[in-house]
Amino acid sequence: MNMLNYKSISSLLIVLAIASFASAQNADISPARKQAIDSLALEKVRDLSKYISIIGNKKTPFSEATRVMDRAEELFAPDSEMGVSSLNRKEINYYKVRKYFERLMALNYDRVTISWYDIHYISDLERQPDGRYVGVVTIYQRFEGESDDGLKYKDTTKKDITIYVERKKTQIQGRTIEFWDVLLGDIRVSETSA
Amino acid sequence: MKLSFVFITTLFLSHGLQAQLVDDMDDESRLYAENKQVNQFFRRFNGEEDEKGERYYPKDKQYRSERLRRKYIGILFDASNSGIAQDLKVQFAKDVLNKDKPVILNFHGGNWFSEVHTTFVMNGKDVPVTLFMELEKHHQGTRWVIGKVYADIFKASFDRDTVKVGKFLHPLSHELDFMNLRKAFSNADSVGQFTLKKFVPDHLSVFLYEVKKGNLKFRTVNEVKFHFFQIDGWYFEVSQFNRSGYNTGWLISNLVKVKNESEKNLLRKYVYYETK
Repeated sequence: MNMLNYKSISSLLIVLAIASFASAQNADISPARKQAIDSLALEKVRDLSKYISIIGNKKTPFSEATRVMDRAEELFAPDSEMGVSSLNRKEINYYKVRKYFERLMALNYDRVTISWYDIHYISDLERQPDGRYVGVVTIYQRFEGESDDGLKYKDTTKKDITIYVERKKTQIQGRTIEFWDVLLGDIRVSETSA
Repeated sequence: MKLSFVFITTLFLSHGLQAQLVDDMDDESRLYAENKQVNQFFRRFNGEEDEKGERYYPKDKQYRSERLRRKYIGILFDASNSGIAQDLKVQFAKDVLNKDKPVILNFHGGNWFSEVHTTFVMNGKDVPVTLFMELEKHHQGTRWVIGKVYADIFKASFDRDTVKVGKFLHPLSHELDFMNLRKAFSNADSVGQFTLKKFVPDHLSVFLYEVKKGNLKFRTVNEVKFHFFQIDGWYFEVSQFNRSGYNTGWLISNLVKVKNESEKNLLRKYVYYETK
């Protein structure tokens, strides 16, 4: 059930694995490379899921939540936003990523449980005008909040997460190595009827 | 529908165990069945992924196989829409799955676009604006661009009665250096009567002008749907259904068989709110 239980692989290892078959000249993404990029993207998405669970958890001390928010923000490209809608309110409300985390931390419940469905869906990668690739990873989150006075709230939200995939270069022991890096972008958060 | 029943049963069998384990988290089979992204609609339409959403590649036996596509095509329709006749769906499936000439949807193939219902603010009031977005090649990749705009607030400015005699500049106005233009412009409501009969207003130009002037400010997106004119002889619309059950996500919400290109163009105009 919990996607966070997946065996954790360090992003660096995956990055280097992708680098090992990254062709310097060919900008097209082969199926094998696409699968490796998917793994890297999922790794980042799982990191984000983990951070969201920690930030939302009422037992997380403020200082720890702030540190996790910093880490979570590092996953994102600058100016990334969350676009949120609910079943009753179709229109999208926009929040900067940091603001979204802060709102999550400040929710007025005494107990909050955030869990994730196993399911994920990864789109194809499409090339943008600037040469970077873009994709969307869809995941589902279950939120349950409870107050001491017995007030309960729960919802399931679908999160469509933009991923930007970019070829970068780095120097390792004098050798230039090309690799594919993944950054998260805007996230569409919509409540589902699940 | 029989096809969707078979598919959903398959999903239940493959994910039933997980569904029991998730307890209060409902059953995930519903989420597997959902067309979660437009991308998934394309892939299922084309038979390019398995039931869990894992991609097939051209080297895979199942890739675009007729059998796989036949399994998917039934669940791509909004089953609650009785307006799409069953025999029309069957005809469509027959055309699309034709063994000699199978029809594949092409993301970059053009002839499909998005209708985006948005809200802008003008003079402190919310106003609906519909943007028609299309994909365009640009530099190293592609981008979505605004192809057309429709807004009721602009429509009122262009409404005019071309049947009645109405107001006009008489045919010898030029001899007077068009001095009577002063009268023509004295009433803003009737100024449209002085334009060419075949004049077609362009909402996109007005929209850009108002946005640039700061009179129109973006507020939110309300709804998105897609119109497909890519398949010979057919038009269909894809909308998002967020509801309980297994027939959810991006689904065909309208299907029309079109005889020729002229009929298609008429339909296109209708979608764009164009009257001429």
